[in-house]
Amino acid sequence: MFDPVDDLIERIARHLRRPVQIDPALDARVMREITALPTPGGTAPLGKAWRWLRRPRQFTLTPLGGLAAVAAVAVVVLFSRMPSTPPAPGQIDSRAFQFILVAPRATHVSLVGDFNDWDATRTPMRRIGSDAPWTAVVPLVPGRYHYAFFVDGSRWLADPSAPVARDDDYGEPSSVLTVGGGS
Amino acid sequence: MTSTYARAAVPLLAAMLVAGRATAQQTDSRLERLDTATRPTVAALVDSARTAMLPTEPLVQRALEGATKRASGEAIVAAVRRLAVDLGHARDALGSTASPAELSAGAAALRAGASQATLAQLRHARREPLTVPLAVLADLVASGVPVDSAAAAVLGLAARARDADLVEFRRAVERDIALGAPPAAATAAAATATAQSVDVNAGARQQRPGRP
Repeated sequence: MFDPVDDLIERIARHLRRPVQIDPALDARVMREITALPTPGGTAPLGKAWRWLRRPRQFTLTPLGGLAAVAAVAVVVLFSRMPSTPPAPGQIDSRAFQFILVAPRATHVSLVGDFNDWDATRTPMRRIGSDAPWTAVVPLVPGRYHYAFFVDGSRWLADPSAPVARDDDYGEPSSVLTVGGGS
Repeated sequence: MTSTYARAAVPLLAAMLVAGRATAQQTDSRLERLDTATRPTVAALVDSARTAMLPTEPLVQRALEGATKRASGEAIVAAVRRLAVDLGHARDALGSTASPAELSAGAAALRAGASQATLAQLRHARREPLTVPLAVLADLVASGVPVDSAAAAVLGLAARARDADLVEFRRAVERDIALGAPPAAATAAAATATAQSVDVNAGARQQRPGRP
């Protein structure tokens, strides 16, 4: 006996059993389309870096590794805090000091000391008239300074109005100036 | 994954440390003013001081002073070495928190003849920076005051006197010595006067709260 419903089911089943023919280039086409889609954050290196930075990660660290990391940070901090070069005048509370020398017969006087790297060209002293004293003004931060006057390119003079440097190692006279912290 | 990061972090940390150390150890260009025979020795002394966490600027300045004064290389090296030793002794006495200025002044005081014990006593006696008290101590000894008298006077004033009081005290001593007073007697008299002045000023400050 012919049953039209069975025949219909049979035909549908036969159709579904047929192997599906897929275009071999389909994968490539799909991937091309995906690549062409705009990605959040952009594809620029900056966007990649931003995504990399935001992606959560898990770290495991042994106690020894942790100690080593802490020690490394401590060394870096200590080196960065180590006293070496004092702050330049102006960086911390500096005060202007006037140095005066009475030397009417001198033709050229330089002020040299710990505050100008003992460079005789750095702080030439000036006078208003031939009988006036030689003067120079230098900003100084708190500390203890050795200095001297270099007269006419050949003679060293200590400051007669300041204490003599007892810890002078070179046989030429020097003076000492102490700048307090303002207390 | 995690071990990859750990492997990357260790060389990075090491590189940071090496780079930091290399930067710190760069020879100071100012030392080029020294002659070629003296420069390496002074640079090595400066590096050693840096490694020992001592201030290096006073050493550089001492070397430059020698170069400007045309001292011999041996004299410059000896002076820098002596100062480095004094700075180390000052740090031992004043503690690792002492500032570079305090260490320089402490080295000068030790060089003048003060003891490390005196420096340590000063540290305990005074909360404010010790640069001026130590410098005053060194300057008094340079003026001819016996080191024991100078140390006793500065220690007696250190707790309450301000920097300006101490500088004025030193000037008074030097003035009296210039007028013919024996240095020890001049120191004792000026210390008494300064202590009284400090007490009077402190009392006045207490009566006028809010005024400096």
